[in-house]
Amino acid sequence: MPPKQARTAPDSRRRNQAVYPRWRKRIYAILGLVALLLLVISFATTVGSVDIPFSTTSSILISKLPFIDITPTWTDAMETIVLEIRLPRVLLAGLVGAALSIAGATYQGLFRNPLADPYLIGVAQGAALGAVIGFLLPVSLLGTSIGLIPVLAFAGALLSIAVVYSLARVGRTMPLTTLILAGVALGALLGAIVAYLALTSGQMVRSILFWLTGSFSLSQWSEVWIVLPIIIIGAAVILLFARSLNIMQFDEEQAQQLGVNVERLKIILLIAATLVTAAAVSFVGIIGFVGIIVPHAVRLIWGPDHRFLLPLSILSGAIFLILADVLARTMAAPSEIPIGVITAIFGAPFFLFLLRRRAKMLF
Amino acid sequence: MIKLRLQDVTLGYGQSVVVEGITLEANPGQMLGLVGPNGCGKSTIIKALSYVLAPRSGKVFLDGRDISRIPRRELARLLGVIPQMPLLPSAFTAFEIVLMGRNPHLGLFQYEGRKDMEIAWQAMENTSTQHLSQRRISELSGGEIQGVVIARVLAQQTQAVLLDEPTANLDINRQIEILDLIKGLCLGKGLTVVIALHDLNLAAQYCNRLALINEGRIYAEGSPEDVITADNIRQVYGAGSYIDRHPLSGLPVVLPVAGDSNIKQVDSD
Repeated sequence: MPPKQARTAPDSRRRNQAVYPRWRKRIYAILGLVALLLLVISFATTVGSVDIPFSTTSSILISKLPFIDITPTWTDAMETIVLEIRLPRVLLAGLVGAALSIAGATYQGLFRNPLADPYLIGVAQGAALGAVIGFLLPVSLLGTSIGLIPVLAFAGALLSIAVVYSLARVGRTMPLTTLILAGVALGALLGAIVAYLALTSGQMVRSILFWLTGSFSLSQWSEVWIVLPIIIIGAAVILLFARSLNIMQFDEEQAQQLGVNVERLKIILLIAATLVTAAAVSFVGIIGFVGIIVPHAVRLIWGPDHRFLLPLSILSGAIFLILADVLARTMAAPSEIPIGVITAIFGAPFFLFLLRRRAKMLF
Repeated sequence: MIKLRLQDVTLGYGQSVVVEGITLEANPGQMLGLVGPNGCGKSTIIKALSYVLAPRSGKVFLDGRDISRIPRRELARLLGVIPQMPLLPSAFTAFEIVLMGRNPHLGLFQYEGRKDMEIAWQAMENTSTQHLSQRRISELSGGEIQGVVIARVLAQQTQAVLLDEPTANLDINRQIEILDLIKGLCLGKGLTVVIALHDLNLAAQYCNRLALINEGRIYAEGSPEDVITADNIRQVYGAGSYIDRHPLSGLPVVLPVAGDSNIKQVDSD
């Protein structure tokens, strides 16, 4: 039947063109960013006070991959510097960048609010209070390998979210506006307590402020190994519900009518995003700006579909924070610039540039 | 094909009760119209039928099953809703929005496949929105968005469709197009359709059965001829209208009568 074929052939092509080219472009972007991330990791381990060439650091890194055997052309000292000092710091920066970015993207999607960031509902202030209490406790309690401060910060973050959540519950539902307001109010209260404790802490005030502004200067492998599984599990859960997050971009009633169990989704995503944020915050302190800007930048470049937005945010966030940390430790070497200053100084102009050019891609 | 039933249902928000003790049934292949003045509870009944609002008392049944026990995903495969003035995320393209109608048919790990694309594309053809497929929602007009939302419901491939004022703010030709489409689906595929309409004339022309709601209760129920009577309309809406027959269909029509309202004339002094 030639007439029918003549009609359906271009029709199916038009249909496929409505989606597949977009998907293909975004999948290429994911692959491209994975390659870029590996390159950035190698580059970041090259930069430092001891001069080791890029080819050598790359070889050291590659030699540690399974099934690859390279005869060393470098000294043991070089290997120690790259693998024991630089790499854990680079990886931790990447993990934290990834964690804050996916948590930010999740909150922005869940709350349908472009101002949402990972610290929106009081995680940061809870973590800060936990950390400050850690600083003020008698030193004799600090004895474990990971130290007490990250544990207290992690506990503080989770506890504050639990309080916010129970305050915001109305019967069996959790209105998101109430949740944000409860989070902001509790955050203000905890923030005030943190400020008071810090100011009256005597000689500890410098260490506390240092923690509060965020830093990777004390990164170790043990921290990487603790943070990694939490972030992987949290991110995996969030990625599973990427399509549901798309549906949540309608209002809550429509989302339910399209088959999303909205109340369950809120709880799952809040818990996952909070865990991821708390893990990131507890070791390196509060690093602002990444969690709000990276997802928006990704949205502006590649569009609002969470199935791509979330993985692209993970990769972009990791790349962004690794590079920011390189600048933080080299620009004023041997002293360090707070990482939050770097993320804002370099991130904000780039973001504003994107915003001017492609605002309609945003939500 | 499924049957919807509200049994002695009371609905409300917060402290206020909006609908009180309503019993109502919608059957396959029929269009049930909910009519009545603003605020009478039409939209609230639609919400209860899709279980986005849980009844205070009474039960909603879907083919004899208590709707509160049906999982959301399964419910969304059985019953689709076209909300009143739906809010859509503006950065998605129209085709992406229609494709989201496939959500209840997809598993956790699944992406939309060729079959889903075909269904969504067909839905856009049926609603004459194919030419909009690549455009972003932010670039569409109100009428075009309504068409996209109807396509989304068609892509959902449900056995019942609920509509809340789907033709409000649309031009008359667009109103007729949309209602013809819904009516065709209802007759052709035996869908169960419940539609809230404030336009009594459209309701009378398209619906098999009407329920006239007043102050949260059913005032009259039956065929358009039984419900749209001079007496009922005067009782529920007050003065200001005249009932006649449609010259082509013979169904009742409501005509406005100027100067017959309850508003007292303002003295010009």
